[in-house]
Amino acid sequence: MIQVLNVSKTYHHGQQEIYALNDISLKIEKSDFLSIMGPSGSGKSTLLNLIGGLDQPSNGQIFIDGQPIHGISDDQLTLIRRKRVGFIFQFFNLLPILNAVENVSLPLLLDGVPFSRIREKAIHLLESVGLGSRTEHRPEQLSGGEMQRVAIARALITDPAVILADEPTGNLDSHISEEILGLLKNLNQTGQTIVLVTHDSKAASFGKRIIRLKDGSITEDISLSESRA
Amino acid sequence: MNLWNLLRHITMKHFRLRKAQIFMAAAGICLGVTSIVSFGVVNKSILFSFEDSFNRVTGKAKLQITAAQSGFPESLLEKVQEIRGVEYAVPVIETDGMLVSGKERSIMILGVDVLVDTKIREYSLSGDSVDVPDPLLFLAKSDSILVTKTMADREGFIIDQKIQVQTVEGIKTLCIRGILNPEGPAKAMGGNLAIMDIYAAQMAFGKNGRIDRIDVSPRQGENLETVRQAILNVLPNGYMVDTPAGRTRQVEDMISRFQNDLNLVSYLAIFAGMYLIYNAVSISVVNRRREIGILRALGCLRRNIMLLFLGETLVISIIASSIGVGLGLLLANYLVGTFGKVISETYMRTSVSGIHITWLYPILGFASGIIASLMAALFPARASSLISPVSAIRSVPYTEESFFTARRLNLGGVFCLVLSGAIFAMYNFISDSHLTNMILLPIAQLMIAIGISLFIPAFLKWFVTIFNRFFSSMFGSAGRIAGLNLRKNLTRNAVAVSAVFFGIAVFVASAGYTHSVKESVLKWLDSMIIGDIVISSGHPGSSANAHSIPMPVDLSQQLKKVPGVLSVEPWRRVFLQYKGRRVLVSAASLARYSKYSSADTKQVVKNNKIRLLPDKDNVVVSEPFAAIFKVKKGDQITLPTPAGPVVFSVAGIVVDYTSDSGVIAMDINTYQRHWGDMLCNSFFLLVKPGAKVNDVRDEIQRQFGSDRKLYVLSALEFKNEIRKIMDDIFIFNYALNVITLTIACLGIIVALLASVLERTREIGTLRAIGMLRRQIYGVVVLESILMGLAGGILGSLAGMFAGWVNLEGFFIPNYGSAARYYLPFSAILWALFLSAGLSALAGMIPAQKAAKTNIVEALSYD
Ligand SMILES: Nc1ncnc2c1ncn2[C@@H]1O[C@H](COP(=O)(O)OP(=O)(O)O)[C@@H](O)[C@H]1O
Ligand SMILES: [Mg+2]
Repeated sequence: MIQVLNVSKTYHHGQQEIYALNDISLKIEKSDFLSIMGPSGSGKSTLLNLIGGLDQPSNGQIFIDGQPIHGISDDQLTLIRRKRVGFIFQFFNLLPILNAVENVSLPLLLDGVPFSRIREKAIHLLESVGLGSRTEHRPEQLSGGEMQRVAIARALITDPAVILADEPTGNLDSHISEEILGLLKNLNQTGQTIVLVTHDSKAASFGKRIIRLKDGSITEDISLSESRA
Repeated sequence: MNLWNLLRHITMKHFRLRKAQIFMAAAGICLGVTSIVSFGVVNKSILFSFEDSFNRVTGKAKLQITAAQSGFPESLLEKVQEIRGVEYAVPVIETDGMLVSGKERSIMILGVDVLVDTKIREYSLSGDSVDVPDPLLFLAKSDSILVTKTMADREGFIIDQKIQVQTVEGIKTLCIRGILNPEGPAKAMGGNLAIMDIYAAQMAFGKNGRIDRIDVSPRQGENLETVRQAILNVLPNGYMVDTPAGRTRQVEDMISRFQNDLNLVSYLAIFAGMYLIYNAVSISVVNRRREIGILRALGCLRRNIMLLFLGETLVISIIASSIGVGLGLLLANYLVGTFGKVISETYMRTSVSGIHITWLYPILGFASGIIASLMAALFPARASSLISPVSAIRSVPYTEESFFTARRLNLGGVFCLVLSGAIFAMYNFISDSHLTNMILLPIAQLMIAIGISLFIPAFLKWFVTIFNRFFSSMFGSAGRIAGLNLRKNLTRNAVAVSAVFFGIAVFVASAGYTHSVKESVLKWLDSMIIGDIVISSGHPGSSANAHSIPMPVDLSQQLKKVPGVLSVEPWRRVFLQYKGRRVLVSAASLARYSKYSSADTKQVVKNNKIRLLPDKDNVVVSEPFAAIFKVKKGDQITLPTPAGPVVFSVAGIVVDYTSDSGVIAMDINTYQRHWGDMLCNSFFLLVKPGAKVNDVRDEIQRQFGSDRKLYVLSALEFKNEIRKIMDDIFIFNYALNVITLTIACLGIIVALLASVLERTREIGTLRAIGMLRRQIYGVVVLESILMGLAGGILGSLAGMFAGWVNLEGFFIPNYGSAARYYLPFSAILWALFLSAGLSALAGMIPAQKAAKTNIVEALSYD
């Protein structure tokens, strides 16, 4: 359902060119749970951002459900992010001025839906990630694990085609991390497609399939689905 | 719809969090709108009161014939009456008198022909007067006077009371024969008006055989313009035939310097307000970078980010402009009295009773506030929409390559300065066009300001280097860290510095302009050797204004007989119409007594001694006159006299600040020959060597004081009176200084507050590595002071430069006066003191907050 074809991404540092991604091809099926692993600077985030339409590839093609997301206008790309993709970031990236429900509602607010019509669904999602009693709290009043749960609820509110998580446990201790990863796994079991970026092999093992990146290239692609099933 | 969501859920929360900043940004625009509305309304109200008074005094007459203040022969009346199309033409004396009792109030005296005047004006006499058969007829007695009910109530006058009025012939006792109801003409001039018989008025005010005005009502169905032309045809050159509206326009012309000053204040205020908005939005965009990144990542369209910031600005500007309109109207109500008084004292009598609101200025102010705010927000709002989500949501953003490299900034700065220089050089060649000056020079000034502001990063770098090398050790470790911090965040700090810069630049520019004009006039005043004693019979400062009651020139014979008096020189000042403008004729014995004038005039007169002799038709003109009418030395000008136009040669051009609209100086003999006017406004006396000035002064007061109200002042006292009047005239310029300074202060506070708040994380790091609270406090305050000072120094520099251009470009082309540029030292000191002091203050609150920063919180995300 997601197709990455011969994608490269280069950055310029002064005169110097840096290949963050070098001719990558990849296919992600519906209801898959893909873990992307690799050392820091290997291009994991770059790849994820390209899949999520946060950035455009320097070369190559990317499709979500057959729909190209390369070489389209910024507005079209933005609408794809809004409607088809759910992001979860390492630094949570909640808006500090909004409370939990409002943060969860944000993607739909951006779509112009009145808050009164989103509220119920947002609260329901917060309950489903175990934050039913924290709906009116602002990020600064929440712990890291709680913030990441808010972020997961936010990613889910638009019923996205895919959830992209960039080191979602990078800032959490191992016990909390397991809970968060467990949440993602549960989601995946209801059919949600998930792409998880991590440099932690334990976290990666929650996925059904693992690819390894090094210096912008895929070095390994293993499927865990049989062994785990 | 989705923009609405953003505004409702995000903007409203930010507003609550950033009240102080928003308040200050809004205050700038509010101030701008306030000044547009208040000055506009005051201006309109003053003009309205003129027009209202003109209309009331004119009554049913549609046209008024006027000439020089000295009046014109009665014989013209018949000529006008004979014109077909004229139904009535009535003579009027319109002059100034003064009530000797009470507050010595100056009043307008209208001398009318009692037999025919009711055809033009309706007088309604109050109840007390009705038992008199025909009170108007009583006016035929030469001591009769009618006063208005307003005046009677105020002064406690009753019918048949004898009152003393200062006239040209000295103090006269007149008898109140009737009291006019506040209707028609009696409501003009706020009721400060009295009516006499025309013959009696002519006698009392030295206008035998002459009248000041003819009021004409055309026959029914006649075309006004046709009648006007017909009248012009029978009159010699130099007469004005105008409608009351036309006269109002003349007044508008006359007080145009005031209006220009006011407009300048408003534009500057709005411009400065724009700068505050620009700054506030820029800072807000920088602070909310991450928020923008998140919104973009979650699917917010670029244009919606931009619209979000514009929408926020719109909300703020609507509120600020609404408050501005309200404040403007309040302020107008409060100022209209003061402004009316200044206009009345310096230009022409008026009495403004209240504000006259038209919708124009409130709407104009409101719209300007909003448009200016949106324009100011446009650039940073657009920048906000270009923020890349990928970089913004990382914990440490990648440096995005800026277009504005140091080299490009400096080049841009040089380019702007060169451009302004080029414009300035160019303007000397195309100075013909007034319009070009008005457009090119503001651009030149703006280029100077922008040009210098582009050097701010470079200057800051240099400034900090100097600080680090020579001063930082004085402040211990706080000094070193402050120095390092400033260097590290040059670009961001440059934004704060530039806010201070613009505020201070505008302040110093306007202060320099005011200071120079004032200083030039004072220097000129000081260089005038006006003798030892000055005698006038109106207010001593009435050098060019309406409230002067002239004296007969003959008085000089009697004055000479006073012991101790060496010489007496009469000085006549009278307004006349030249090419549609009111210009001042200043007549004294130029050739003989050039010592009674400024050093510069003396020189010109000396060089042209022969030409300025009393029997020659030569004049010298002031620089404004030369500039306005494009007259050079040796040119010929044709002046209207009661006997018809006379050609005069311009023997020289002198500095003379007596009147904005230009001064024509001639020998008093020449004046008397052509105008037949044997009056003067003041006498300049020299005292015999050995005689005491004060003794002579007291003796004059003793001998003449009972016959007429005289102001006998020593030269020093006289100059001091003039200074007082100048302070009144400069009231607008002071207002300008206050406004620009306020805005400078707001700018400093907004910028520094934001710059400190933005750095919570950095401060947390410093605390974590072991800095004491006290040290953090010191670092933040010191940084603020340094930034403020850098902006203050550079701003003062730009301000001096721009002020000089303003003077050379605005004042001189418009008014032609050779004002020199004087550095406004005290203003510059204030600027530096305030930029450092206010920055310290602005830094303190956030410094306190910074010192208390919770280390853990500051170091965590966001
Ligand atoms: N916006 C950017 N500008 C410049 N270089 C970048 C940018 N984003 C990523 N890079 C570079 O691309 C490479 C890959 O980065 P990234 O995808 O963030 O790695 P990872 O997520 O695997 O740690 C790194 O060398 C990084 O410095
Ligand atoms: Mg990464």
